[in-house]
Amino acid sequence: MPEITSPPQSDGVQPDRVADDPVTARVRDAGSGLTALLAEAEAARHQRAESAQEEAQDGGTAVCAWNHFENIPTFYNWNNRPR
Amino acid sequence: MKGVSATPSYVVMQPTTLCNLDCAYCYLPFRKDDKRMPVAVSAAVAEAVAPWSRTQRFSIVWHGGEPLAAGRDHLAALFAPFGPAVEHHIQTNATLIDDAWCDFFQAHDVRVSVSVDGPEHRNGERVTRGHRPAYDRIARGIRVLRRRDIPFSALCVVGRPEPGLATELYDYFLDLGCEVLGINVEEQEGVNERTNRHPAADVTAFWSELVAAWRRDPRIHLREIEWSLRYAAAVLDGNADAVLPRRLDPIPTVAHDGSVVLLSPELAGFHDPRYGDFTSGNVLTTPLAQILAGAAGTPWIAEFLEGVEACRRTCPYFGFCGGAHAANRYFEHGRFDVTETDHCRNSKIRLLEGVLDHARDHEPTAV
Repeated sequence: MPEITSPPQSDGVQPDRVADDPVTARVRDAGSGLTALLAEAEAARHQRAESAQEEAQDGGTAVCAWNHFENIPTFYNWNNRPR
Repeated sequence: MKGVSATPSYVVMQPTTLCNLDCAYCYLPFRKDDKRMPVAVSAAVAEAVAPWSRTQRFSIVWHGGEPLAAGRDHLAALFAPFGPAVEHHIQTNATLIDDAWCDFFQAHDVRVSVSVDGPEHRNGERVTRGHRPAYDRIARGIRVLRRRDIPFSALCVVGRPEPGLATELYDYFLDLGCEVLGINVEEQEGVNERTNRHPAADVTAFWSELVAAWRRDPRIHLREIEWSLRYAAAVLDGNADAVLPRRLDPIPTVAHDGSVVLLSPELAGFHDPRYGDFTSGNVLTTPLAQILAGAAGTPWIAEFLEGVEACRRTCPYFGFCGGAHAANRYFEHGRFDVTETDHCRNSKIRLLEGVLDHARDHEPTAV
């Protein structure tokens, strides 16, 4: 499927996403495959011991957790991240 | 998400402008010069961040130039004013890492991230000041980290996405032993004026292939994949609006001389007739908290915030991305109130599309 190039017009309310946006529809369309992928990612995260609790206890890994965006302030954050 | 937070989650510090390498795609000006940060600058930053580090996890990211080029003694002096609650991170090209540096990392509990672009033949852009390949030196430094059991992350620049590259890179980083990996498609910014426009299908296919490679052995925390999956999970759970932070992290970059550039470190050191030098103040004369409180008063930042709102109104990927980065807007379009950039296309839009393509093409088989 090609990427989405014609977004809907804003309704002026300014939510964090455009209402009923096509990206949401695209994600839902891939829901079955995503659900399996998400389950594998969750298992991998446990294998890597990326839980906030363990992170706090040993403080010894290079970074990261599923919630690293909020909790681990580095270049590995997502938004506005420096390169 | 609206506006800029008055409290950052990390501060980028430039202990020296100098880099011992001369990578072809580097955006940093002044990297041939050794302009070192005085301790007074780090002391001012340490005083500012102390209250923040008491209430949240807080980092100083030592960037450069090459931060190790500042030397251990000077870097230790710059570290000294910070309290124990502040985490120190270093982004390094690894070429100077030896046992003495590893001792330093361990003594100061430094979290290390190395910059390497994959196997040797993928590092042609990473060269010494004499324009000789730097890979041997990079690999030597990483071997020392591994011998000393110091965990590390890695950042990899991709110049041209092409079939087979994602698998090759992921396999390389598995073997390298990094815990976390970030993939940066090369950007047109700073003194790097090379175009970063690539065929859409190639970029989407690159990210899709990367998901497949990662899925076979997901030992590495892969920044782009994890974040894409986080967003996808939130959409499926019906709470995608909660993914983005309420306000943008200001990410102050404190240059060697104490001047502060917010939001995009790549703007530090540049000047524009319309925007001036992009700085919002200097920690030697104004407390950092005060600089942050007045951020929206910096003309280019006010224009950037208009651009973020334009992204929100017009781009269906906004909930995933949060708006084009300031430096990409400026260096690609010359202003901040524009919206989509080539960086958006390469590293946000086609990333998400590649992940979704992979998921669509790998649905579980019914039994």
